[in-house]
Amino acid sequence: MKSIHKLVIAISLTVGALVTSCQKLDIAPTNIFTSDVIFNSQAGITSFLATIYQDLPIEDFKYVPSTNDGAESPAGFEHGGNDWQEFYNEAACTGEEVGPWSGMDIGTGFGFWPYGDIRNVNIMITELPKHVADLTQTGVDQLLGEAHFLRAYYYFGLAKRYGGVPIITVAQDPGAPLATLQVHRDKEQAVWDFIASELDLGYKMMPATSDAGRANKYVAAALKSRAMLYAACVAKYGSVNYVDGEARASGLAGIPASAATGYFQAAYDAAKLLDGVYSLYNATPGDKVQNYVDLFLKPNSPENIFIKQYSIANNTAHSWDDTMSPRYFTANALSRSYPTLDLVNLWGTLPITNSDGTPTRYDNRAQLMQQLEPRLQATIYFPGATLRGLTFDMQRGIYPSFSGTAAAEVAKPANSRSYILASSTSTLYQGVQVIGFTGPWTGDDELTRTGFYVRKYIDYTRPQATVNLNTSVQPWIDLRYAEVLLNRAEAAVELGNTSDALADINLIRDRAGAALYSSIDLTKVRNERCMELAFENQYYWDLKRWRTADVVLDKAHFKGLMPYYVFDENKYIFLAEPELFNREYTFPKQDYYEPIPGGEIAKNPNLLPNNPGY
Amino acid sequence: MKKLINIILMGVAILASSACTKIDNYPGPNASFQGTLISSTGGNFPTSGGSTQIWLQQIGWTAPQTIPSKFDGTFEDTQLFSGGYKVVPTGGAFWPVYDTVTVNLTKGTTHNFTVTPYLVIKNFTATLNGTTLTLTYDIDAPIVAGLPTIKDTQPYVNTTALVGTGASIQVFSDANAVTINKDFVDMTAADKSMTLTVPNLIPGRTFFVRVGVRLSDSYNSSNFSNIIQVDVPKQ
Repeated sequence: MKSIHKLVIAISLTVGALVTSCQKLDIAPTNIFTSDVIFNSQAGITSFLATIYQDLPIEDFKYVPSTNDGAESPAGFEHGGNDWQEFYNEAACTGEEVGPWSGMDIGTGFGFWPYGDIRNVNIMITELPKHVADLTQTGVDQLLGEAHFLRAYYYFGLAKRYGGVPIITVAQDPGAPLATLQVHRDKEQAVWDFIASELDLGYKMMPATSDAGRANKYVAAALKSRAMLYAACVAKYGSVNYVDGEARASGLAGIPASAATGYFQAAYDAAKLLDGVYSLYNATPGDKVQNYVDLFLKPNSPENIFIKQYSIANNTAHSWDDTMSPRYFTANALSRSYPTLDLVNLWGTLPITNSDGTPTRYDNRAQLMQQLEPRLQATIYFPGATLRGLTFDMQRGIYPSFSGTAAAEVAKPANSRSYILASSTSTLYQGVQVIGFTGPWTGDDELTRTGFYVRKYIDYTRPQATVNLNTSVQPWIDLRYAEVLLNRAEAAVELGNTSDALADINLIRDRAGAALYSSIDLTKVRNERCMELAFENQYYWDLKRWRTADVVLDKAHFKGLMPYYVFDENKYIFLAEPELFNREYTFPKQDYYEPIPGGEIAKNPNLLPNNPGY
Repeated sequence: MKKLINIILMGVAILASSACTKIDNYPGPNASFQGTLISSTGGNFPTSGGSTQIWLQQIGWTAPQTIPSKFDGTFEDTQLFSGGYKVVPTGGAFWPVYDTVTVNLTKGTTHNFTVTPYLVIKNFTATLNGTTLTLTYDIDAPIVAGLPTIKDTQPYVNTTALVGTGASIQVFSDANAVTINKDFVDMTAADKSMTLTVPNLIPGRTFFVRVGVRLSDSYNSSNFSNIIQVDVPKQ
């Protein structure tokens, strides 16, 4: 009896064990997204794409090009909730503005190396074709086109910094032998050709429209016009002005001059694809100043091709409003970089001096500004402009009386000039405030040192009390139609097609409220670009691709516009004087290419030789 | 309780005696590398701040180092690890040297480099008239074919014998630069005989002065004269 019991127990244990064991342990983990979860649905893909878009090397409000001089660390493409160092911008290192950089301190970059993001795109390109059943063939093709565009965008960010880099199109297997993981650099020309072919795929496969912030076929074409223009200039001007070295000799940094025409043609053709699809923002042609201001603030502008958006709820808001205007107009914070008179003079020398050399007398501060081109007034806050009900009352000091020429006065040593300056806005001279609430002064940060403030992108509609750090959400317009027209005009003039270039430039000048040109040349096209795209993080790369940075920034000192009140005449005069930081900028030629990051070379010595001069 | 305290104290004593006994007994880098840049036209190759460097890369390592040249054309680094290095002078106004030399660095290694300057500044004279200094000199090129365009020339004035780019008084130096923008082959004999003036020097001070001629080579580098001392008399 007892043994039967034992038998029953034994059998039931065995059966129980057999039935319950052998469950497969290889079950899908619930805390990791597998490729099926991501690529089987549009929602999964959208969230995967969000990371790739967020990391795109878009040089927006928050872009910090270097960690030098106390700038935010790590530098680069920021997307956190506390990015408020907008004044550490490229403009303040190139003479568009002057600011916190103590010199030409952004030339060697910050070690941009986005192969993690490129890996994500590569995974996407490999995975998508496996999911035709869920996404349909059209859906897969459109997403593949978007992926090719994104990959091109990353490689453009690399190519303009380093020249030739390894072209990796398939995600590397971490278990592969080290020798296959340590890839060599491709030639610079191969990288630009790869970018062109990726953007061609993007143009071919993507639809004509997209949600704001995502790419469509025309975004790919617009980016191609920008990228090919860069490549063309590297070929044309980089073969004349260069630093010699092993990387150049082996084609890793540099393109043969013979390739220039092909790239200019590619830039022109790509820009022409946008003909009639986008147009310049011109909602209020009767008020050209307001129109130009609104161009950067209106969400549905027909000029916007590709934008980057921000949100307070998602902790991605920026601080442009709060850090480009002084505290006088905001609720908090301070400003630290200011437009130069040298930039303003691109529009023509300001009417501040009479023909006899004496400073022109103005009844009030705003009189000077009112004669200027609408686009210039909308790009820069001049003395006398207003914002949120307050006036930009820039005033460097007071002359009890003024005689003689402007040039003679400025040439005098500071201690023999008869002006009255002050270190505080509360100092009075016979009851009159000596310096303006908005500067200029040489005290702490916060007030202008050039007599100007940036106006482009400033959201004038916000009440002062709300203008705080990390509260600005106006989108960054990464690609707008005006740039495409400028790309087209520059390529056209380089190809000898001046009539096309003239038409493009006059479209822009008409909207800007400028006098139309009757003839065109390369200098005019380039100057138009510098004026139209001021502060849009284009000029630094323009100087680099034109290979003029070492000429423009050669022990360069920039100037400001100093307004003074002449007490005995009750008039205002403006003197062109060195900006009050008195910075000096020199661009070393080897910075036309950034050095391959040392950490990457340590991991992969095959990235050597480094670019010339490093 | 007392026992516990004793145990704790003993523990502290053991820890204290065992801690911090190790010293960093790895030897510091003790190899050194020194030498002189010699001009192929004779004498040392005069340089300035932020220009000529000796580039060296230890064999087996990827990160290069540089030793900046001193103003008299000598260089020295006494804190290097011994081993084989590839070395080459770079960054100055001399015809590029492409061939790296391999040297085995130990204590006191000396190696001189001979470089061919783009330009040689000859017959450098300084004449003081009141507070205005007039500098005259001639330039000559050992190799003319392929010489980079000559951009400009300028005096360098400082109050110490360390005088050159980045070590000069702006109003006496950069402000008195003269633009040239000519190729050497296109310059006449008169062009090659240059004069610079430095007005409004401060009476009663001693200045150190040299001149430089800048070319549009890879580094926008300058050839320099020797350094002279100028005593401006009290008025």
